[in-house]
Amino acid sequence: MAAGYRAEDDYDYLFKVVLIGDSGVGKSNLLSRFTRNEFSLESKSTIGVEFATRSLQVDGKVVKAQIWDTAGQERYRAITSAYYRGAVGALLVYDVTRHSTFENVERWLKELRDHTDPNIVVMLVGNKSDLRHLVAVQTDEGKAFAERESLYFMETSALESTNVENAFAEVLTQIYRIVSKRAVEAGEDSASGPGKGEKINIKDDVSAVKKGGCCS
Amino acid sequence: MSGSSGGVGGGAGGSPNNTEWRFNQTLRNVQGFPGKVLLTRRSEPLSPPDYSPSFENEPDEDEHKDGSQEGEGQAPGNSFDNASAKKSNLLSTSSSNSLPDAQGLVFGARATDSARIDKFTKELSRPAVILDKLRELSWSGVPPYMRPNVWRLLLGYAPPNKDRREGVLTRKRLEYVECVSQYYDIPDSERSDEEITMLRQIAVDCPRTVPDVTFFQNPQIQKSLERVLYTWAIRHPASGYVQGINDLVTPFLVVFLSEHLEGNMDTWSIDNLSAQDISNIEADCYWCLSKFLDGMQDHYTFAQPGIQRLVFRLKELVRRIDEPVSKHIEEQGLEFLQFAFRWFNCLLIREIPFHLVTRLWDTYLAEGDYLPDFLVYISASFLLTWSDKLQKLEFQEMVMFLQHLPTRTWAHHELEMVLSRAYMWHTMFKSSPSHLAS
Repeated sequence: MAAGYRAEDDYDYLFKVVLIGDSGVGKSNLLSRFTRNEFSLESKSTIGVEFATRSLQVDGKVVKAQIWDTAGQERYRAITSAYYRGAVGALLVYDVTRHSTFENVERWLKELRDHTDPNIVVMLVGNKSDLRHLVAVQTDEGKAFAERESLYFMETSALESTNVENAFAEVLTQIYRIVSKRAVEAGEDSASGPGKGEKINIKDDVSAVKKGGCCS
Repeated sequence: MSGSSGGVGGGAGGSPNNTEWRFNQTLRNVQGFPGKVLLTRRSEPLSPPDYSPSFENEPDEDEHKDGSQEGEGQAPGNSFDNASAKKSNLLSTSSSNSLPDAQGLVFGARATDSARIDKFTKELSRPAVILDKLRELSWSGVPPYMRPNVWRLLLGYAPPNKDRREGVLTRKRLEYVECVSQYYDIPDSERSDEEITMLRQIAVDCPRTVPDVTFFQNPQIQKSLERVLYTWAIRHPASGYVQGINDLVTPFLVVFLSEHLEGNMDTWSIDNLSAQDISNIEADCYWCLSKFLDGMQDHYTFAQPGIQRLVFRLKELVRRIDEPVSKHIEEQGLEFLQFAFRWFNCLLIREIPFHLVTRLWDTYLAEGDYLPDFLVYISASFLLTWSDKLQKLEFQEMVMFLQHLPTRTWAHHELEMVLSRAYMWHTMFKSSPSHLAS
């Protein structure tokens, strides 16, 4: 996948993606690795939400991801859940070296499903795969859970930069597929899709299709 | 007037002294105001503009500056630096190489400094400290070596009465030790699931506390931090531990450690402290944190209503002070919660360099019960430091700019500017609550 750091305003689609999961699993570092190719062992905890963007090429289109990184502590959920609104993709992150962070995935998923459109693309991400000698959650365990819940799955290392690009790219590609497929089903020319630079909201999109058979 | 107050105008946009211009502009605007008496809330006359009396003789300060200020002429001109100008005055009477308009200010500041130190000494030596007077003095900055005592007094941890002080502190420190053994030094089997989760959360956050300051990476310091936070959280069940409270302990830690360790913080070694010293420092941090947060309880309870309220009030205040910025923010769809939540949750610690935090805390503690109210003004003043810049940014750039503000090179000067302007607006709006309201 060609991943370019392109000019800010030059994009075909804008997708909102959220990063969720327990505190300290590496959400902020996944974000900084993906958007700035940076990693810090000494990063501070996220308070409230943080934000970054990056554009990628998907099927010849420029897709811009607007990524909201959320605080992991339960106390913040009342605040952060407001940011789920309009999200079309999510990376639900756990730490492969701390089993408790995997056990909480189910609660995060519920949180997500309570606040977002059912069609949201979710990827389960087991981060810190570089800490091989400390692994507490086996790959199969993560994979099985993801299959059961119909989530995409990947193990990543923000530190070693393993699979970070792939994880985000996969989520963005799947969102793109859903959106362009909808356009086809609705009798649209798939190439035209939603307007250039238009923010995609699956929910609005769906209702538009149902109502008028046209989402232009 | 709604458009002109707060230095919205663009005349000096991008000029090196923009902040100073803005301040003066604000002063002019405010002074043209009928029937307003300015800067009178404190009975002590504040010499206008009052951004000088910070105590630059802080040891770590000077250390910081030594490296960068060797060539006097290299001041980049964008931010006139009090400390360097002062130095040049100390080193040579020929002051040709310091900035011209810095002169009066610097001499003024020095005079004020020694006079102020005398005042502090006088207040502190009373048999019973008059807290209101101490507040007045402390608002503009406390001499670093007096900070531990002044802070303990301002927070109501140490009693004003001199005869009782030592006894009370001894008793409180003992009480803390008992709390730790009762709540912290127990096996996990005696903790509830919630308590275990909380302890884990604290353990995750301690190593991430002020990670850019090496001293905080010391495992023993992190253990102290963990004990203080967990004990506080257990004893404040309505909120429990909330991420960001770890940041709030750090100014207390640094100040109470400074009673026992000399020189620059970067050279501190905790090995030089006895177990008793560490225990006392922890206890002081614990009690001061408790007192400090007592006035802000609902900032950290479920859904953090106190913070949401401040965010809302900040938005309102900014609308009244600087309509163009307010309008631009709204048009771009930026929510104040998206940047100001962290400001209030961590009381701006995350937004400025750590070496300025204790000075900011002087004002916080001097405000006492009025702090939450005043925080709104400080935050407005802080935000509008970049009034011109913000109006040029679109949504995404603006979120990212506000979440990573360019304050890394800030010195006392910039912080004093923020505080002075906040003070001025506060004086102005408090006495005229509907002023500028549309």
